[in-house]
Amino acid sequence: MMFPEADPTVDERLRDGILQALALDPRTLALDIRVGVLSGFAHLAGKVPSLELRTLTERIVSSVPGVRGVANRIEAPGAPSPARTVHLSPRDEWSPSRHE
Amino acid sequence: MPSDVHPSRAALVISRLPSFSGLDAATLEAVARAASSRHYDAGQVIYLEGEPATALYVLETGWVKATRMTPDGREQALTFLRPVDIFGDIAVFTGTSYPGTVVALEDVEAWAIDAATFLDLTARHPQLALACIRRLAERVLYFIGLVEDLSLRSVETRLASTLLKHAEAREGRLIVPRRSWTTFDEMAVRLGTVRDVLSRALHTLEDEGLLKVERHEITLLDPQGLEKRGQI
Repeated sequence: MMFPEADPTVDERLRDGILQALALDPRTLALDIRVGVLSGFAHLAGKVPSLELRTLTERIVSSVPGVRGVANRIEAPGAPSPARTVHLSPRDEWSPSRHE
Repeated sequence: MPSDVHPSRAALVISRLPSFSGLDAATLEAVARAASSRHYDAGQVIYLEGEPATALYVLETGWVKATRMTPDGREQALTFLRPVDIFGDIAVFTGTSYPGTVVALEDVEAWAIDAATFLDLTARHPQLALACIRRLAERVLYFIGLVEDLSLRSVETRLASTLLKHAEAREGRLIVPRRSWTTFDEMAVRLGTVRDVLSRALHTLEDEGLLKVERHEITLLDPQGLEKRGQI
């Protein structure tokens, strides 16, 4: 099987948690960040004014419990192209039930 | 639509979708009225996997790629689309989030159609619903082929058949032009492998005299030989 069967409910909850975490931090609150979550992987896009904010956003997202990895495609001065190939090292084996 | 009214640009673009070409002018205009134009610079994300599916898109110009993260964190290409094509429709019809990430590989002009509006249009225009079913059925066939490819065929075999599929005749030669975004990583993602394995596969085929890798193109020296390799 190529892809795990994603649990939409778990992913939706995780996405809500990520959006909440970004909204709770005054440094990321006003940023225009797009978030998608599938099978526990968080995918980020949008545009921020600095590399530091890009890194900070990724750090906040990866600290949300249940996030297996972060594909950071946020645009920032000096950041790699969002279209580049992204390979991640997932933190652990993911099972939807473990994060309920 | 009255015959003296010229079809809008959006309607013209949508009518160029092969599965939509049989739609009558009134249906095309109804879809076109719901469409709003979007521009994406090369490299920009159009949507992310796992993002709520709020719209589907009709690609007017520029290439895009759709990818998805595998369970082990590797990016796998789902498809590369060139104009005119439709994308984002699977998630709109299933009512789920987008199953893949779509990024613009070149500057892209597209038409976005709100998901709820499009579902409403398909309910009111049976011809449109049939056109969508046709396109979705084509996609099912494509993905059956992709699963077969990834599970049953070697990288060299996949590479040989992919090169033949994208070959163009130029000045008496058969070549595969390399676009600005056709990096080794992109090719590897397309073939469901990593760049080292792809590089070895290219060298193998080159050593066998089947092709020649150059900076801006790959010349297919022995198409028949490649065809044989593509069938193994």
